[in-house]
Amino acid sequence: MNSKISLLAMTLASVMGLGVVANANAANETDALAKAIAKQEAEIAALKQQLNLLTEQQKSQSAQQQVERDALMSKVETVASEVSTAQDRYSRFSFKSYGTSNYTSDEYFDNVQDTSPERRNRFDLERIVTEFGYQFTDEWSMEVEIEYEHGGTGTSLEYDGFDEFGEFESEVEAGGEVIVEKAEIRYRPSKEFGVKFGNIHLPIGLTSTLHKPNQYLTVLRHKSEAAMLPAVWNENGIGVYGEISDFHYQAQVVSGLNSEYFRTYDWAASGHQKRFEHVNGDDLAFAGRLDYGNFKTGSAVGVAYYYGNTSGNRHKSNKLDVDGAMSIVSVAGAFVEGPWILRGQYLYGTLENTDAITQANKTTPGLRPGNFAQLGSESQSFFVEAGVKLDSWINIPITAFANIDYSNPLMAVETGAATKRFENTWSSVGINYFPIPEIVIKAEGGIHQVAVASIPDTNFFALGVGYQFSL
Amino acid sequence: MKFKYSAITFSLIMGLSACGGSGSDDTAPIVPDDSFSFVATEMITNLTNEVIVDGYADLASKGEALFNATQSLINSTSQADLIAAQAAWKAARQPWEQGESHIFGPVDSLSIDPHLDSWPLNTTDLQTQLNSAVGFDAETIKGWNDDVQGFHTMEYLLFGDGVNDNTKNIAELTTREREYLVALAEVFRDYTKQLDDAWQVSHNPQDTNALPYAELLKQPGTSTNTIYSSQLAVVEELINGMIGIVDEVGNGKIADPFGDSITTADTSKVESQYSWNSLTDFSNNIIGVRNVYRGEYTGSADKQGLIDFVAAADTVLATRIGSEIDDAILKIQAIKGSNDMPFRQAILDVEGRKRVQVAVDALSKLQASLESDMLPLLSDWKTS
Repeated sequence: MNSKISLLAMTLASVMGLGVVANANAANETDALAKAIAKQEAEIAALKQQLNLLTEQQKSQSAQQQVERDALMSKVETVASEVSTAQDRYSRFSFKSYGTSNYTSDEYFDNVQDTSPERRNRFDLERIVTEFGYQFTDEWSMEVEIEYEHGGTGTSLEYDGFDEFGEFESEVEAGGEVIVEKAEIRYRPSKEFGVKFGNIHLPIGLTSTLHKPNQYLTVLRHKSEAAMLPAVWNENGIGVYGEISDFHYQAQVVSGLNSEYFRTYDWAASGHQKRFEHVNGDDLAFAGRLDYGNFKTGSAVGVAYYYGNTSGNRHKSNKLDVDGAMSIVSVAGAFVEGPWILRGQYLYGTLENTDAITQANKTTPGLRPGNFAQLGSESQSFFVEAGVKLDSWINIPITAFANIDYSNPLMAVETGAATKRFENTWSSVGINYFPIPEIVIKAEGGIHQVAVASIPDTNFFALGVGYQFSL
Repeated sequence: MKFKYSAITFSLIMGLSACGGSGSDDTAPIVPDDSFSFVATEMITNLTNEVIVDGYADLASKGEALFNATQSLINSTSQADLIAAQAAWKAARQPWEQGESHIFGPVDSLSIDPHLDSWPLNTTDLQTQLNSAVGFDAETIKGWNDDVQGFHTMEYLLFGDGVNDNTKNIAELTTREREYLVALAEVFRDYTKQLDDAWQVSHNPQDTNALPYAELLKQPGTSTNTIYSSQLAVVEELINGMIGIVDEVGNGKIADPFGDSITTADTSKVESQYSWNSLTDFSNNIIGVRNVYRGEYTGSADKQGLIDFVAAADTVLATRIGSEIDDAILKIQAIKGSNDMPFRQAILDVEGRKRVQVAVDALSKLQASLESDMLPLLSDWKTS
């Protein structure tokens, strides 16, 4: 552009110079001069026009540039806003995972007559759990928990030492070793009140609250609870919950248990309906809990109650014409202060018409409770674990602990005398070592006692590693 | 050998290409025709009526007799009464053990087997019941776990612990033991009756319109028969029943307590150790196999059995399996030796162990013949 302007200036200058020379020549050349002048003027006019044109072009170009700049700016703004929206959405998504892998060494008996145990060692990739959550809005959120037990899905071969000659049974882990353990939608307009529905965790049993490896001291989860209830109990239903000052409450209506699968050795635990594609919902149950304090974060005390019928959910509905109402009461406490950890829970349950349920289970074709049909009309279990964090005294993040688990799913029977064969006590000591806060390595050794005098006490030992993290 | 195959292949190719021009393609390989015909109706009907149903009817009547025999013990001081009850127990044991060669159908689907014959016995829990229970009645006992009821609980009460002998003095029988025994025998009688009914009246006690199981076996392939779609399915069930018990006796009942050496032998695993009836049990199991194979009980007039099915395909095989069954029975019975040694003692005796090994070998041989020679005949059988 600049070169064009210079060119124009030079042309003007030379035209003017020529004009002066011409005046000095002859007057009769006036006409010719006038012509020349007119020509020059015409040229000047043309040049001015060109100049104007150029100026206008310049103007329009800069206007276009402005438009382009504006467009660019708006694009930048869009991208920036998209990025911030994505960031916002990402911050609404949560991912957590935890898992444990164990090595256990226990002594086993061959059959009910055997009193000389044999030591067997086992490895188990106990569970890997993934939790996905999303906060749709301030009030609405969801969470899905998927658990992979014992390394995946498939068929498994089990050895049953109590069977006739000790029999091998191939078992399809129906319902899967890959389990959706929780799939809930939550609406929580305030801290004081929320609603959750879908597949939700029942607040019965502390394991439902404290199931990550850093939340309990033993290598395996508490055996006492697993010998009586579904541990980390989940059902389909709806519940309300919230916290008012230091009180936490929960109240739920959920799918009930199925008494067809109740067994002598673990009472209601195997009645948890997860073997089939559909969960029978003919009998619903109520579950409630009230805690003062927070078990997840520190000290607390709490009570829980479960009530539900169990006959309606049987597949063979013509086998049993009486109710099988079940109730469970739990009392739990935790004291977590400085280096000290003390937790405990007592569970007591009752089941009605156990003789009739036993009979129905024993005589249902294909059900095969085998020798484990008899059911306790009363059941109880408890645990107490105590730990002390040694890093207050030594510079290593180690917690030493002692634990007692007790369970008796056959505490009382409707008629006759209850055998003490299922009354178990596990007493142990051990350590939890945290090389980093997300990882815990555990060791535990103890004694397992059966309340039958002729069955000798056995020793067990376990090592475990667990992790947990959240994005 | 490889060279031979190559030569054959080469000549085949040459031969085929030579034929190629002529347009002839009649070169399909000649498969030897192993198929055989056999009309199974009479055999199935006979086995069902004369062997299986008769066997369970016999068991039910022996169950009734055992119940009566225990009742007479309630206030008795007579040793003869106890011996009679012991004999009644052994008598009931016979049709039950022989029936294990066809332990399918109601005995399985109604889960009656564990109620009658759970092993091992839970002596600890039994003692708890004897010490603490207020009274015994059949209905209560039905609700208890299977390891404190059935044959072996009655055996323990009637014969004692069996460690040094299989005799018991009537004076040693406590009042509670007598009460418990009567209640157990009543439960036992009820189950054997239920089993008999399932075969002869209705195979599903919940549904009175259901056919007797015997009819399902005898009339396969009818529209109302949801269990057996064809005669082939029935014959397969029968053969697998034989294989099942031969396997259990050889590899379970005998081999498990036997162990791999005298130091790993475990008498606690010996079934019927209190009465020292083990060898009788085992041989009865294989006699049951013979009943199904021959189609009649030992000594009865000849009727059609699985031997006729096998003979239709291969008479030599039919004879061979028959003699292998007889041999297995003899070898089991021979374990007792010349001094009538019970099984629980034989597995701890050097010479006894040799005799046990001979019996195990005979059972293995029989099992191999049933699995490898008899079962495959099903695929050659032209059922129409």
